[in-house]
Amino acid sequence: MSEAPLLEVRNLKKYFPVRAGVLLRKVGDVHAVDGVSLELRRGQTLGLVGESGCGKTTVGRTILNLVPPSGGNVLFEGRDLSTLRASEWRSLRRQMQIIFQDPMESLNARHTIGRILEEPFVIHKLGDAAWRRVWVGELLERVGLPPSAAERFPHEFSGGQRQRIGIARAIALKPKLIICDEAVSALDVSIRAQIINLLLELQREMQLALLFIAHDLAVVRHVSDRVAVMYLGKIIEQAAPEEIYRRPAHPYTRALISAIPIPDPTRRRARIVLQGDVPSPISPPPGCRFHTRCPYATEICKTDVPKWEPVGADHHVACHHWRELPRQQ
Amino acid sequence: MADFVLQVDGLSCGFHTEDGYQRVVDGVSFAVEAGATLGLVGESGCGKTVSALAVMGLLPRPAGVVESGRILLGSHDLTNLSSHELRQFRGRQIGMIFQEPMTALNPVHTIGRQVIETLRLYDPRADQKTLQKRAVELLEQVGIPAPVQRMKEYAHQLSGGMRQRVMIAMALAGRPKVLIADEPTTALDVTVQAQILELLRSLQKQHGMAMLFITHDLGVVAELCDDVLVMYAGRVAEHASVKDLFDAPRHPYTRGLIASVPRPDTTPKTILATIEGVVPATRDLPAGCRFSNRCAYAEDVCRAVVPPLESCGLDHEVACHRWRELAA
Repeated sequence: MSEAPLLEVRNLKKYFPVRAGVLLRKVGDVHAVDGVSLELRRGQTLGLVGESGCGKTTVGRTILNLVPPSGGNVLFEGRDLSTLRASEWRSLRRQMQIIFQDPMESLNARHTIGRILEEPFVIHKLGDAAWRRVWVGELLERVGLPPSAAERFPHEFSGGQRQRIGIARAIALKPKLIICDEAVSALDVSIRAQIINLLLELQREMQLALLFIAHDLAVVRHVSDRVAVMYLGKIIEQAAPEEIYRRPAHPYTRALISAIPIPDPTRRRARIVLQGDVPSPISPPPGCRFHTRCPYATEICKTDVPKWEPVGADHHVACHHWRELPRQQ
Repeated sequence: MADFVLQVDGLSCGFHTEDGYQRVVDGVSFAVEAGATLGLVGESGCGKTVSALAVMGLLPRPAGVVESGRILLGSHDLTNLSSHELRQFRGRQIGMIFQEPMTALNPVHTIGRQVIETLRLYDPRADQKTLQKRAVELLEQVGIPAPVQRMKEYAHQLSGGMRQRVMIAMALAGRPKVLIADEPTTALDVTVQAQILELLRSLQKQHGMAMLFITHDLGVVAELCDDVLVMYAGRVAEHASVKDLFDAPRHPYTRGLIASVPRPDTTPKTILATIEGVVPATRDLPAGCRFSNRCAYAEDVCRAVVPPLESCGLDHEVACHRWRELAA
């Protein structure tokens, strides 16, 4: 028996009310996350991919209770977060950090980098001023910034350097889990590779678990031990990256993977171009949520929600027809 | 003899800022053939968008200036035209689409009205009914379902992909010979990006227009372009056919870019090749080769002398002092 997961998410739900009219009466719900279950082990990376509006960002935020869940459970080291007292939650929250796409929005523009990085220690009453200064210096060095960065302000840094600051702050309290929400999406190619490398190194050194939320499938494939694909609030397929990229079972995953442009002009492949747009999450289609765009949909897909079935070793899919789909290259 | 629709020759342009004049594009030349696509690749601040805006005569005034160079469209040099004459050229000869169509569409007018107004520019005497009909055809052509219905809607009611289709329809309304596309799929999801690239390819085939495609995504370049111009810090680093660029990249910057993108056959969780450091700011560019402060192969000559863009193969040019040794 392998060790228990560090993070376990069971049937997580998040509905946002939709209000309309003068009295702002509730007229419906956005089903942003609708029954998501995940597991993440220590030192491992789970990639969570999907297109805009699929709910992947909300999953990350709901896990940290940045937005309260509407249903389901989040377990960290086996403890259900919803049952914790405020003081317990505070001490556990140190173990779980998040980095965002644009760290500028989460860095106080009027504080020096030194003060920003010192803050977690101050909040948790760790060390004295001299000790904290030493620590800030070590953090900066670890993420590849010069010690002089401590005296400067966020706007003086480029996008890649700011992301290094965001990472330094996230690792300050030696967390066990970091949620990376599109953390490298806004960066230029050469800088993106630097930040990916930094995350991989830190993960190895600190046994960090990463929940890597992104829409770039090539990047997710590179950093993940397992990949989960989301569509309209649900996870539709999960497997190891090479398995999911080589043998995608769900028609949506197939379309998604075939749509990634490959930086190699000699590799041409049949592209599955999906028709139409993602339906509104306010009234998601019944049955399989993908049936409105699926080239293989039949009657059952319009009425019955597909079960979560094993496809192979450690590979699961939610599709009525995965067995009958044509083989593909 | 190739039939170049658009030829840019030694273009230098920049902006007047509080810190004085800053040259952003420095002696860039390229040409696009009818029916072909030239990719303009590089990272933020390399000057690819500014080059395109200069071609369109759309540099913000009075700060933006074209210092020197020629922009030839057929036999006309656009740099000599008055803004009135230039307006005649834009749309009819060159169309442009942008990354975020929401900022280019008017939020308070219906889609139909905007498409019809655009069509009216090119055919002022046509009556409303004819224009209406043409607008519907145009929207159909770019793959917008139920165009009659969509014409009554506003930009915010459309998805990002649909908005980009409307922009493409408007850019094509004047039947331009050249279409400049500035990161048109960067803000879109990957499945929608695939739809838009497919659309651009088929429209190009139908109309035979030349396309200048600006992007930072090497995957998109490999799929869409015939030739590629790699830019770094305002200058051309390399110019090649798409096949040569990926098969035999000559500039260390191009090599670094290609190596830093995870590919389908890269082993997961391995350390990626990177280019150290960051792109220098316009005000403190290194002397000589602008890539010299990040280049693993830089020598004294690289830090002192600007490398000329020289031929390193058939239709393949590179601006690097050491390309011969590195190619060996």
